[in-house]
Amino acid sequence: PSRASSSLSLQAEVFQALQRLHMTIFSQSVSPCGKFLAAGNNYGQIAIFSLSAALSSEAKEESKKPVVTFQAHDGPVYSMVSTDRHLLSAGDGEVKAWLWVEMLKKGCKELWCRQPPYRTSLEVPEINALLLVPKENSLILAGGDCQLHTMDLETGTFTRVLRGHTDYIHCLALRERSPEVLSGGEDGAVRLWDLRTAKEVQTIEVYKHEECSRPHNGRWIGCLATDSDWMVCGGGPALTLWHLRSSTPTTIFPMRAPQKHVTFYQDLILSAGQGRCVNQWQLSGELKAQVPGSSPGLLSLSLNQQPAAPECKVLTAAGNSCRVDVFTNLGYRAFSLSF
Amino acid sequence: MSSESSKKRKPKVIRSDGAPPEGKRNRSDTEQEGKYYSEEAEMDLRDPGRDYELYKYTCQELQRLMAEIQDLKSRGGKDVAIEIEERRIQSCVHFMTLKKLNRLAHIRLKKGRDQTHEAKQKVDAYHLQLQNLLYEVMHLQKEITKCLEFKSKHEEIDLVSLEEFYEEAPPDISKAEVTMGDPHQQTLARLDWELEQRKRLAEKYCECLSNKEKILKEIEVKKEYLSSLQPRLNSIMQASLPVQEYLFMPFDQAHKQYETARHLPPPLYVLFVQATAYGQACDKTLSVAIEGSVDEAKALFKPPEDSQDDESDSDAEEEQTTKRRRPTLGVQLDDKRKEMLKRHPLSVMLDLKCKDDSVLHLTFFYLMNLNIMTVKAKVTTATELITPISAGDLLSPDSVLSCLYPGDHGKKTPNPANQYQFDKVGILTLSDYVLELGHPYLWVQKLGGLHFPKEQPQQTVIADHSLSASHMETTMKLLKTRVQSRLALHKQFASLEHGIVPVTSDCQYLFPAKVVSRLVKWVTVAHEDYMELHFTKDIVDAGLAGDTNLYYMALVERGTAKLQAAVVLNPGYSSIPPIFQLCLNWKGEKTNSNDDNIRAMESEVNVCYKELCGPWPSHQLLTNQLQRLCVLLDVYLETESHDDSVEGPKEFPQEKMCLRLFRGPSRMKPFKYNHPQGFFSHR
Repeated sequence: PSRASSSLSLQAEVFQALQRLHMTIFSQSVSPCGKFLAAGNNYGQIAIFSLSAALSSEAKEESKKPVVTFQAHDGPVYSMVSTDRHLLSAGDGEVKAWLWVEMLKKGCKELWCRQPPYRTSLEVPEINALLLVPKENSLILAGGDCQLHTMDLETGTFTRVLRGHTDYIHCLALRERSPEVLSGGEDGAVRLWDLRTAKEVQTIEVYKHEECSRPHNGRWIGCLATDSDWMVCGGGPALTLWHLRSSTPTTIFPMRAPQKHVTFYQDLILSAGQGRCVNQWQLSGELKAQVPGSSPGLLSLSLNQQPAAPECKVLTAAGNSCRVDVFTNLGYRAFSLSF
Repeated sequence: MSSESSKKRKPKVIRSDGAPPEGKRNRSDTEQEGKYYSEEAEMDLRDPGRDYELYKYTCQELQRLMAEIQDLKSRGGKDVAIEIEERRIQSCVHFMTLKKLNRLAHIRLKKGRDQTHEAKQKVDAYHLQLQNLLYEVMHLQKEITKCLEFKSKHEEIDLVSLEEFYEEAPPDISKAEVTMGDPHQQTLARLDWELEQRKRLAEKYCECLSNKEKILKEIEVKKEYLSSLQPRLNSIMQASLPVQEYLFMPFDQAHKQYETARHLPPPLYVLFVQATAYGQACDKTLSVAIEGSVDEAKALFKPPEDSQDDESDSDAEEEQTTKRRRPTLGVQLDDKRKEMLKRHPLSVMLDLKCKDDSVLHLTFFYLMNLNIMTVKAKVTTATELITPISAGDLLSPDSVLSCLYPGDHGKKTPNPANQYQFDKVGILTLSDYVLELGHPYLWVQKLGGLHFPKEQPQQTVIADHSLSASHMETTMKLLKTRVQSRLALHKQFASLEHGIVPVTSDCQYLFPAKVVSRLVKWVTVAHEDYMELHFTKDIVDAGLAGDTNLYYMALVERGTAKLQAAVVLNPGYSSIPPIFQLCLNWKGEKTNSNDDNIRAMESEVNVCYKELCGPWPSHQLLTNQLQRLCVLLDVYLETESHDDSVEGPKEFPQEKMCLRLFRGPSRMKPFKYNHPQGFFSHR
C-alpha cells in the first residue's frame, strides 16, 4: 500500500515539475504597504511573496517561496493593479477584487467579480490590461474584444465603452494631465482617447513609419509608457520614443528582439521582452546596461516605489518561467523568488 | 611507734614507760563485765571533745615543762637536778597521757571504720538484692511480652470472612449462639469449618486426578488409532493416482511440490507459499513452480555451526585443495567471489499470464551468502514478435522490470551488510553481475519477506510472511500492468518506425479529421546524447532525465518545416507521462527559449497529457501525444502571420478553423482543438 502511494506521489511530483517548467508569469503588483508582491501566472494562480522577508538579512530559502498561493481565475491572470486597499486581477473576461489584508490568510475569497458587457458570446475575450484612473476613481479594462471599458470602482457599473481598435488591445497607459488614455493593440496602432468626451483624439500607426517598422516581427504594439508629452512603445516594431503632440518618432532604440514591457524610471527607460535581459536605455537612445535575468523571456517589470517601505525598493521582472527576478540595484540580479 | 607496737600487742603490753595499760583496763572493766579491761569500753564512755582538750592541755604542759627544763639546764646549779627530775617525771606522766590519748584516738578511728564498714556492707547487700529483684522483674516482663506476642499458627491460615462463614457453615459447626459472643469459640469454629472445607476439597482433587488419568489413557488409545490410519490413507492415495490423472486433478503433484518446497531456503519458501496462496485465492493466471536440484539442496544442509561463516569454510576448502599447487592470487580471489555470489540450487518460477496470452516468466533465486533474492525476467508472447529497432530495450530482460516501483533500479544490493562482504573479495558493485545473477529489486526482497532497515544493518534478517503477503497483490498487479504497457508500446513502435501514428478509434475525437504533418522518423537515443541536446536543458536541470529512463527522438515534417521532438520515457509509463522537448527548424531555429508558441506546444503535450490518456489503461498516451504534436505543428505553420515584406504566398494556407489567431500578451496561437465543433481556440 505504501508503495502504491509512492508511485502516485511520483506521478504528482513529475506533474508538478512539468507544471513549473511550463509556467509563465504574466503580471505583478506591489501591495499598498510595499512589503508584498503579487504575481499572476498562466494557470490562473496568484502567489503573494513577502518582499520584506526575502530582502531581510535573515532570509532563508523558504522566504523566496510564496507566503500564500491560491487559484484566482480559470484562465491566465494577464494583468493586475493595486489600489490603496485592493488588488484587482483580470483573467478570462472578468475582473476580480481582493483585499490585500485578507489575501495573506488562507482560503481568501474575492470581494467582487465583474464582467464588462461583451459583444460576442462565442468566445470569452481576455483582459490584457488594467489601468487605474485615480481622478475619477475608475478602472479601465482592455483586451480581446478590441474595446476599452471604464468601470466605476465605487458603484461597479460600466460607464464608457471606447471603440476604435480593429484588433485586440495589448496595453494601456495614462496621460495624467489631460486626462487621456493611450492604448496599443494588435492592429499596430496607438490610440489616444479623451476620457471626458469618450472619443479618440489621436492615432499613431507605428508600422507605417519606416524607421521603426519591422515587418518580419509583425505590427503589433506590445507595450506602452507615457510621460506627459512623450510616449515610448514597442512590440513588433522597434522600441521607439515618440513626441505625442507632433506624432513623430524621435528616438529609435536599437533592440532587435520584440519588447513586451517598457517603463520610464527617473531619467532612464527600462524595457524587457524576448531575451533574458532587462534593458536600460538613455533617453538619447544609447543602451546603458543589459542585466540578465533567470527567465528566457520577460513579460512584466514592476518597480516598488511605495513610500511606506523604502527598504523594499526593488525592481522585479517576471516572464517565461516560474521565477520572479529581484534587482535591488539596477546593475545585477540579486536573487529570484519562485512559485 | 611504740604506741603502735603497744596497740598490736595490746593484751600483752609490758614495755611501756607509763602505768601499765592492763592496770587501767582492769580497773574499768569491773564496771562492765569484771573479767577483763576493755579500752574500747572506756573509749565509749569518754567524750572525744574533752579528750581533745586534754590533749591540748597536755601538750601545753609538756611544752612548759620542757621550757622550764631548758631554763633550768641553762641556768645550771645544784638543786637544778632535782627540779629537772621532778619536771622529768611530770613530763613522763604527760607522755603517758599522750600515749593513752593516742591509743584512744586509734581505737575510736578503728571503731568508726568498723561501723562504716558494717553499714556499707549492709547497703551493698540491699543494693544487690535490689538489683536481683529488678533483673528478675525485667526477665518476667520480657517473658510476659513474649507470651503476649505469641501467634498461634491458626492465625496464618486465611479464613473465610465472617459473613461468609456464618452463611456457609452448617449450624453444628458455626454454633452461632455460642460463637457470636465468644471470640475464642468463634475462632475455633472457624478453624473447624476451614478444616471441613479442606477435607472436602482434597477429596475432590483426588477425584479429578483419577479422571485426568482416565482421559489421558483414552487419548493415547485414540492417537494410536489415528497413527495406524496414516499408512492406510497413503495406500489409498497411491491407488487413487490413476483416477486423479484421469480426472485432471493433480493433487499429488501439488503435494510433491510442497515436498520440494521444504528444501527451499526461507525467503524462497515465503515467496513460494505466499505466491501459491495468492494464485489460488485471487489470480488464476498465476502459476508457481520450483526448479532446480533437490539433491544439491539437501547436500547443502549442514548443522548450524558450519553454515554460518561460509568465508572461512571456503578458505578451508581452498587450503585443502591447493596443497599441491598454489593457484595465483587472482584465481583465488575469483573463486572467493564465485563462492560469495553462489546461488541456492533451487529457484522459484512464477508465470503471470496476461489477457492477450502473453506470459511473464519470473525466476527467483536466492544468494545464500548475501541473504538477498534476485529475479530474472522473460516475456513470451502468443505469436512471434518482430522487434522493431527502437523497441530493443522495452522488453529486454535487463530493463523490462526496471523501476517497477519508483527508484527501484535493481543495480545495487539492498542488503547494506553486503558491502563489507564485497570489500573482502574485491567486488565493487553487484551491477556487474546482474546479467548472470538476476536483479536484486527491492520488491523481490519484500516478496521473500526480507526487510533491510536502512538505519542499522541487522545481524540476521529473517524472512517474514506478513511482509510478503502485504506486497503480493500490488506487485503482481504492477507486473501485469508493466508487461502489458510494454507490449503495447512494442506494437506501437513497430508502427511508428513506419511513419504511422497508430491512433485507435476511441481516441479519434481528440484530433481533427485532417492532419497534414507526418511523423518521418522514430529512433532511440542514448541517455548521454539526450543530455547533450541544446533544447533539453530544462528537463535535465529539473532532474527528470535520469539514467533509468528510455530516450527517443521523433521527427515530424511538413513542407520545409522540420520539428524535432526529444522524448523521455519513464519506466513508470503510462502513469508517468512521456516528456517532450521541441525544436522547430523553419525560418530559423525555434525552441522554447526563443519562441513562446513552441513553449505552448510543449505544454499542450506535457502538462495537458491527462486529456490524451485515452481509455484505461492509458496505453494510447504516447501515440496520442505524437498525433497531437502533428496537429500542433499544423496549427503553428498555418497561423503564422504573413510577413508583408516577403513576396509570395504563404507556404501553408490556413485550413484550420480558428476563432482568433492571437490572444494574450504572448500572442499565443490557438492550439486547443474543440470537439465536435472542430475549431481551434485558446486555453
